Amino acid sequence: MLDFMDYVQHAFYEASHWNRNNSYGTLTATSQALLDFPTPLGVRLHISSLSTPHFASSYTLASTGLLSGSLSYLYTSLPLPSLPTATRSLPLPAFTPTSYRQIQRLRPPDPAWWWETWHAGRRIDTRDALLYGRLYLPHSTLEALYLRRLTPTRQLKISAVSDARLPNGGSVLALLAQDHGKWSAEYMYSTDSALLGVRGLYNFGPDPRDRDAGIIPSPVMHELAGDEKTTVLAEPAEPVSRFSAGAEVYYGLLNKSGGMSTGIRFATLAAHTGFPYTMTVTLNPLMGNLSSSYSVRAGELLSLSSRFDFNVYSYESDVVMGMELWKLKDRDGSGGGGVVVEGEGKEGEDSKMSGRKEGEREESAGGDVAGCLKARIDQRGSVGLLWEGRIKELVYSCGTSIDLRGGKDLITGVGLEVQYSS
Amino acid sequence: MAFNFNWSPLTADASFYTRAQELLTTALNKYPKPPIIVDDIIVNELNLGSVPPDLEILEIGDLAEDRFRGIFKMCYTGDAYLTLKTRVQANPLNTYLSTRPSFTSPQPLAASSGLTIPLQITLSEIKLSAFIILVFSRQKGLTLVFRNDPLESLKVSSTFDAIPFVREYLQKEIEGQLRTLLMDEVPAIIHRLSLRLWVPEYRAKEDEELARRSRNPISDEQPVDPLASPPQDPIDVSGNFLDASQIASLSLDSNYEHHSLFSQKNLLRLAALTDSHRTLSLFTPGIRDAVFRAWTGPSEKGELHTSSARPIPPGISRAHSWSGTTSHTYTFSDNQEGPSSAKPTLSSFGSTATGFGLGGNRSSKPSNGRRKKRRVVNLRKKAAGGEDGQSVTDEGSTISGTTSSAQSEHGAPWPCQEREGEMVTPPQSPPRKAASREQALLDDNMPTLGRRVTPRNTIIEQSDESTPKPPQDWIPNHHPSSPSTRPRLRTSHTYHSSTQQPEKAQAQTSVQASQTSSINPFQYLESPTGGILEQAWMMKMAGEIARRVNEEKAAKHGFWDRTRDGMEEIPPPAYGS
Repeated sequence: MLDFMDYVQHAFYEASHWNRNNSYGTLTATSQALLDFPTPLGVRLHISSLSTPHFASSYTLASTGLLSGSLSYLYTSLPLPSLPTATRSLPLPAFTPTSYRQIQRLRPPDPAWWWETWHAGRRIDTRDALLYGRLYLPHSTLEALYLRRLTPTRQLKISAVSDARLPNGGSVLALLAQDHGKWSAEYMYSTDSALLGVRGLYNFGPDPRDRDAGIIPSPVMHELAGDEKTTVLAEPAEPVSRFSAGAEVYYGLLNKSGGMSTGIRFATLAAHTGFPYTMTVTLNPLMGNLSSSYSVRAGELLSLSSRFDFNVYSYESDVVMGMELWKLKDRDGSGGGGVVVEGEGKEGEDSKMSGRKEGEREESAGGDVAGCLKARIDQRGSVGLLWEGRIKELVYSCGTSIDLRGGKDLITGVGLEVQYSS
Repeated sequence: MAFNFNWSPLTADASFYTRAQELLTTALNKYPKPPIIVDDIIVNELNLGSVPPDLEILEIGDLAEDRFRGIFKMCYTGDAYLTLKTRVQANPLNTYLSTRPSFTSPQPLAASSGLTIPLQITLSEIKLSAFIILVFSRQKGLTLVFRNDPLESLKVSSTFDAIPFVREYLQKEIEGQLRTLLMDEVPAIIHRLSLRLWVPEYRAKEDEELARRSRNPISDEQPVDPLASPPQDPIDVSGNFLDASQIASLSLDSNYEHHSLFSQKNLLRLAALTDSHRTLSLFTPGIRDAVFRAWTGPSEKGELHTSSARPIPPGISRAHSWSGTTSHTYTFSDNQEGPSSAKPTLSSFGSTATGFGLGGNRSSKPSNGRRKKRRVVNLRKKAAGGEDGQSVTDEGSTISGTTSSAQSEHGAPWPCQEREGEMVTPPQSPPRKAASREQALLDDNMPTLGRRVTPRNTIIEQSDESTPKPPQDWIPNHHPSSPSTRPRLRTSHTYHSSTQQPEKAQAQTSVQASQTSSINPFQYLESPTGGILEQAWMMKMAGEIARRVNEEKAAKHGFWDRTRDGMEEIPPPAYGS
């Protein structure tokens, strides 16, 4: 279940035309969502609200034997008036997005002049920013986030944690991200042990900027282009898959230790006629860790994923398998939901369009969804189960983690999370 | 008094090592481990080696069958080694990120993927040097405290010795962990173990003690062991105040329950007592926390006589007083043999305790008999002790010379003989046996000599018994399990009834002095011979102590004050009533 603040934050990305999936950090997002989903522990209650288009607040009460909670507030300079936030009316997938993350078509960065606002001969435009703060009680841990779109291709993200229990009382991470569509890069600096990091992602294939150079990527035109490919623009055939490669390097100045990894991903795009699938391989050459994952959306209601880890130095290996199954509401019409979903699978020609269409799809199909079951199992016999659903106006998720190996106790954790937002 | 340290037998106990390994493993995994260690720490190998630690006894504060308190200095440079197995995280980024909040984490994709490496660490060439305070109580178990950081140096060899950085890191980490272990965990382990082990039979208990000792080489000196060797003198006085000064510097006050030891006041009084004896002055200082052992009075003698006739003679009590190691039984039987054969003489000579004039009250004593509980025993080198004993004996004989001149001649050697035998090999009876046999012979043949000797035995018994044993009414169910308890109890009553009265104890010496002429010579002869030996020995030691105390006093005033305060707050139970 997506945290409300994350939900709003993602909406901010969308509204500011930032493709958060075009980053090396999200190379394996699909398999991570399917295999590494967290299972709740204890009881957790969220009450959230987007009171104005600029301001959101959320309160959390948690009990895992000890009572704790958090208060969080969010301000965004970019109004989000159309963001549906009420769990009463919101379809379930809004807060529990599909794990399988369909790779969208690359979006060329907005032309710089798009962002210019002139008034009386002077530029008066400002940059969109987002401020977010969260105070955890009773430990008095403070999280703060500052997000700013510097240019259409750049975004600055500064996150900080203040906690007396941490060394130096907390840490700050500054991350500057660049996204040019064809490639993206992130530069980061963490005050904690002065960690420097760089990571980049390169997408093979046609450069969206070339194709769209000088052309306003209006939805209408793309609709046309999609329908009549042979006409006006004489575009090449829509690619059905994309191959991406990336790498990351970290180095801690203070502790003089570093790390690096490289990774590749092959994923089908929306134009792919078969079932969508994603394959990734990541390699950590320093530590000899090799990890490969294969995720497939076997149907609109079912996603499967598996990952195999192997370390060439220690010969340790690990296998994880996971699945996600959506359950549709029982309707009098048989298989109606399936048809609807099937139709939606072909959507998303345009990236800008897809966002909206995605919303529409959720809007349309969300009403049919009763819930979602996630499960994973690894070779050590630990099983995670998560069910997300809705009761009246509440979205809830309950989960458990089970240790089949027969340790001290079979069930290592049970939790229930309830969210209400208006 | 002798200590018997069994180091090698520990290795013979097969189950010991497994048990020790289990306990160590538990202890090592108890505390949250540094993030670099990703698996349980398993004790793979444990060997205590063949070189025992060097122990120096600084002070024995309290000595009884059911309690012991002492301070030791331990140095260990043996060949013990310990091998640990665990798995460590080799990726520094992984370790680093695992301790940081995820909110500001860069969340690397795969750069933080872990690489766990099995690690084998061997700890060897362990050098320990520590001051140890050992407190043992049957109810509360064994408490062992390090007064300082015991770990001097340590060699850590691991899988990664080739990498200097890792080696240094491991060395540093492990030293830190080991310090924690020694300072916090080992005392806890030993305490737990001692509590658990106190239930089973005594024999088993002893084995467990061995194990415990070996678990922690530091705790070698078991509370029982000192008692195991038959103490020659009820008060083993050593002028170890140099050590005491060291102790004072360690600020040991906190761990002492009762500061009954070496009260300066009492020492001064003892000194005064000695002086009064030497000068035959009638002034006798009252010593609150000390009771002179009184010998059995005439009535007691009778009881002794009767008891000796029983299958289990008085000697049993003595055996118990030594807290029942096997060796005790030996000595006991020997004693029994001697006295029993000598019984006629004993009986004939009747009241031995008259010297202290406590015998009269004896009949009432057994019911509410209080026993002297606290004894400050400071151990010197054995040789020195033996010599002292010798000299004391001589002195005693000279003092009692008024009674019989012959005693001194014959009597003097005996104690030494016995003492040597007992001290060197506590468990072995043979030398003592021989001695007692001789005694018996002597007793039979030469009544006077026998008198002198046999009483001495009884005296020893009494004194030993009195020291460790709690009064019966005091802790009635004290040794419910030990089969020999009952006889011992009985005998103890008979014997110790005489010793019980503190008021009288204060006046003992004077009384004795005055009584010398008035009382039946036999009585006098008997009791004084033994009594004088002990007494004189004690007095001499007391004098020495007093002298030293005076010397020390100037320097270490605070320490003694503290001790005295503690003692006064909690008077020894023996004087409670």
